[in-house]
Amino acid sequence: MDPLISIENFSEKPNKITALTKRELERQLNIQKRKDDKELLSASNEKLEIFETIFAEKRSHIENLIKNSRNTAKNELADHFNTISKEILTLQKYVAASNIFLRHYDLQRCQNTLQELTNKAKYLENELLPKKKFSFKNRAKERTLKKKRKMKLIQHCSSPKSVERCLLRKIENCTVVFKGTPSTLHLNHLNNCKVFTGPVSTSIFAENCTNCTLVIACQQLRLHSSHNVQIYLHVTSRAIMEDCKDIAVAPYNWIYEGVEKDFENAHLEKKVNNWRCIDDFNWLSEKHSPNWKEIPENERIQRWEEIE
Amino acid sequence: MGFLTVLKKMKQKEKEMRILMLGLDNAGKTTILKRFNGEPINTISPTLGFNIKTLEHRGFKLNMWDVGGQKSLRSYWRNYFECTDGLIWVVDSADKRRLDDCKKELFVLLQEERLSGATLLIFANKQDLPGACSKEELRDILELDAIKTHHWKIISCSAVTGENLLEGMDWIIDDIAARIFTLD
Repeated sequence: MDPLISIENFSEKPNKITALTKRELERQLNIQKRKDDKELLSASNEKLEIFETIFAEKRSHIENLIKNSRNTAKNELADHFNTISKEILTLQKYVAASNIFLRHYDLQRCQNTLQELTNKAKYLENELLPKKKFSFKNRAKERTLKKKRKMKLIQHCSSPKSVERCLLRKIENCTVVFKGTPSTLHLNHLNNCKVFTGPVSTSIFAENCTNCTLVIACQQLRLHSSHNVQIYLHVTSRAIMEDCKDIAVAPYNWIYEGVEKDFENAHLEKKVNNWRCIDDFNWLSEKHSPNWKEIPENERIQRWEEIE
Repeated sequence: MGFLTVLKKMKQKEKEMRILMLGLDNAGKTTILKRFNGEPINTISPTLGFNIKTLEHRGFKLNMWDVGGQKSLRSYWRNYFECTDGLIWVVDSADKRRLDDCKKELFVLLQEERLSGATLLIFANKQDLPGACSKEELRDILELDAIKTHHWKIISCSAVTGENLLEGMDWIIDDIAARIFTLD
């Protein structure tokens, strides 16, 4: 036997004992901790239950309100929808205030319910309340419409002045009318929109438009990265397109009172319309570009009832 | 070719300059060129390719090259760089949304070795439109002060009204003349 090893063994013994008592202590502490944790958890469970009952109550209350809106008198509808949205907002605040003790899953579920309620209310509101119509006729020199989403609105802008720059950006489901003679027009990120313009004295620059109908008159048209757009076009020089698909063109046919005078003011020749002359930068062959076509005469929209 | 051109230029008694006009589409390059030349501007189409004009101004013969600015044409710009004495960069000052693009394209051009000797004039065009950026704003947004490689100047103008076009052209001609015709 090597004496050295036995000495080592000997000196290890008391260490082992202290280690064991230490472990014992730790174990007891752990048990205590687990107990405490359990108590804490059960408390939050109670809170959760209270929360759930309150949430369910309020939810059914709002649902009843929404259901009742069909039976509400028309002149009270606006107030009624106001109450609904206020109730939804309070509920939302309640959820937000309770988020400390809510589990992620519960939180998400509540939020989904809230979203559902909001959607229902909005849908009903759109259906029961007549669509909002805005009109302003002031002569602000630069008009910018930004981030109007999921709203149907008609904007009548008339201006006798020709120096006016118009910009439409990030708009969905809208009908926009520019009367008079804007000097230039920029369209950017439009989806499912209808745009009507009087004669634009210089250029129109359109980018990222989808599912739109444009009834426009101008000297130059540049169309970029757009698809499924129908254009009723009056262009006195030429139009170009780049990275576009499914474009259909027809001659400009919006006739309103004073249209001839507007053409004169914009220095656009009413008789010169090169709507067929579209240069596609992605199609250099002699053959007709597959990215655009003419709308056959019998398929053209003849009257623009929505703006008359 | 560069050396031969220098010889050719020295032999020529008439003072000839080659000026290249570039910029994003819808900036008004062709309109500036036509307005400067006294041609009507209400029949201009978007440029498919390029226009060349030779103008006489103050005894100089200016060969003006106006190249289309559509995205798909920009890769062809480099075909026009050779022997350029002056570069005119045209900006639509009212199109704030694309100023970032405008800056990028300009700085790519300035990297180009074949344009390294050229004088740079920046036309802040469309000043007639309400809401157009001033030349001071453009100077900041386009970070023009970072340009150390070229003689440059920014001039606000309007191709529609003709405002400041002559001033701009005079400056670029003077700057080029001071550089290449000092021999005579």
